[in-house]
Amino acid sequence: MAVTTEPTEPTRPAADGEGAEADDRSERDQPPRGRRWGRSLRSRRPRRKGGLQTLERTRLPYGLIAPAAIFMVLIHILPMIGGWILSLKRLNTFTFSQLFGAPWTGLENYRTILFDSDNALHRGFNQALRNTIVYTFWTVGLTLALGLGVALLLNRPIRGQRIIRTLMLTPWVVPSFVMATLWQFMWRSDVGVINDMLVDWTHLLDHRPIWLNGPNSLWAIVIPSVWRGIPLAMLIFLAGLQAIPEELLEAAEMDGAGPFRQFRYVTFPLLRPLFAVQLLFGVIYASYQFAVPYVMMGSNPGPHADLLMTLVVRESFSNNLVGFGAAASTLMMIGMLFWVAIWYGAFRRDLELAR
Amino acid sequence: MITRRAVTKLALDALTWLVLALMLAPILYLVLASLQDNLRLSTGEFDLFHPTFEAFQRMWRRVDYTHFLMNSMVISAVAALLATAFASTAGYALARFRFRGSRPYEVSVIGTQLVPGSMFLLPVFLGFIWLQQNTFLRFQDTRTGMVIVYTAFFTPVSIFLMRAFFVAIPRDLEDAARVDGCTHFGAFVRVVLPAAAPGIAATFVYAFLFAFDEVLFASQLTQDDARTLPIGIRLFLGAHSEQYAQLLAAGVVSTLPIMVAFFATQRWLVKGLTAGAVKG
Repeated sequence: MAVTTEPTEPTRPAADGEGAEADDRSERDQPPRGRRWGRSLRSRRPRRKGGLQTLERTRLPYGLIAPAAIFMVLIHILPMIGGWILSLKRLNTFTFSQLFGAPWTGLENYRTILFDSDNALHRGFNQALRNTIVYTFWTVGLTLALGLGVALLLNRPIRGQRIIRTLMLTPWVVPSFVMATLWQFMWRSDVGVINDMLVDWTHLLDHRPIWLNGPNSLWAIVIPSVWRGIPLAMLIFLAGLQAIPEELLEAAEMDGAGPFRQFRYVTFPLLRPLFAVQLLFGVIYASYQFAVPYVMMGSNPGPHADLLMTLVVRESFSNNLVGFGAAASTLMMIGMLFWVAIWYGAFRRDLELAR
Repeated sequence: MITRRAVTKLALDALTWLVLALMLAPILYLVLASLQDNLRLSTGEFDLFHPTFEAFQRMWRRVDYTHFLMNSMVISAVAALLATAFASTAGYALARFRFRGSRPYEVSVIGTQLVPGSMFLLPVFLGFIWLQQNTFLRFQDTRTGMVIVYTAFFTPVSIFLMRAFFVAIPRDLEDAARVDGCTHFGAFVRVVLPAAAPGIAATFVYAFLFAFDEVLFASQLTQDDARTLPIGIRLFLGAHSEQYAQLLAAGVVSTLPIMVAFFATQRWLVKGLTAGAVKG
């Protein structure tokens, strides 16, 4: 597995581990490929071309991004602005036929969601928000922790290493809708295999719990999400682990550090940028999770497993409360911006190191 | 000391295999259960020694699985193709050029990931209805509509994947082509794109996987004509009877094309993903 970028190490020797097959151009004095060009963008490298080509240089990138940019503005950015506008409208069952022409209501939708404690929508939103936070916390936390654990296991020499690594990816390749239907089947209370295991085979519990309803139902969506997320986290951590030079760990060992202190002071600091990036996107994707509860439990997963996204979709489409849905979506986006700001404050230094 | 090491190694090896078994167990269970008789399955019984392919034969007739599968394949393939095409030029521009507006553009591409799908879905839904009422354009519940939505939704991710691949291609290749008299764009088309072929394939497969697995838009923008697998598969759990064996068999059949595509291109996928992840 060739890793084209290493977390932090300008000191790495030219021998490029497994991924050096294309380096036959004897560029010994240059850092490994990939890195070189990533950096040249940011350095003040003198322009080699002059004259006509300078003109081309300045125009070409605009031509190259134009198709994607135009398409994205039309189909992505404009609708997003439209979504924000909808949040300022009173768009419900009675005004639905007017579509975008529905009457303005200012910030009324936001007020309902945030402050109107008599309103069922306010309570529903709070509940979904709590569920989403708990879901995100456990899903991302467990996925990253277990993914790192598995990566550490697989980074050791073991017989059949290659095949193990490949097979370990399989859960991630199963589409999430298949995964959700499968787990729905396994979670069944009376005849599901999970309860068979917990009660009949191991006698851990003396009665068969209900998973798809009630207080356990949040775990019924967390556990499959973690199961499907581990392979990806493992893959990324494994790539990071393989990029750590042996000498560093050997040096730490010479200094008397045991496996745990090696991990604590050498391995983990070097993996921090990878951890940071996965944390950022993991939280975003988990907060916007829709597929797992929807496929497993339908459009109304019940008060204990209702996430923000299922709530928004249900109210907007089943109950035609489009204005509410748009306002809730806007609030979710603002929440995400806060998360990104917090994240950036916490991991800024790691990102600079990783560049 | 040596024996202690050996014991540790043995224990960790065993743990590795155990973890692998745990990860694979649900998939094994999926396959085994799909080979069972539905009646037995609904009572939670298993007969491993008499597998039956009955569910695999019946699933095609019980719901219009072929229709859903074709919809999913066509929509995902076309959307992935378009997204990859957009992403290959835009990704190249971001990988090679530092131009006025490149940073804002990059940020806005990442920024789209912060926006919840519903924020985008609601106006698109209303827009599709409006277009249907006021023009001849019909996007609601059509493959065209889904292709447009998926292309837009998966282009940003594709741009970042493609950028990571282009960054890894040595610039000497283009320089050599330009010394030989190519324009920069000519060098891009004739030299860089062929060199990036694995990356293009990987991006296509990713976009395909994402689109194939998309539930949110499919659940609200399709009713019947353009119904895709993730939504259609739930029809096996009808009001009258729960055809679990057929549901799971359909799950197996839906997973197969994805698995083949993934493992065929796995080397590039892994490379692009890890490079992309490190870059952020």
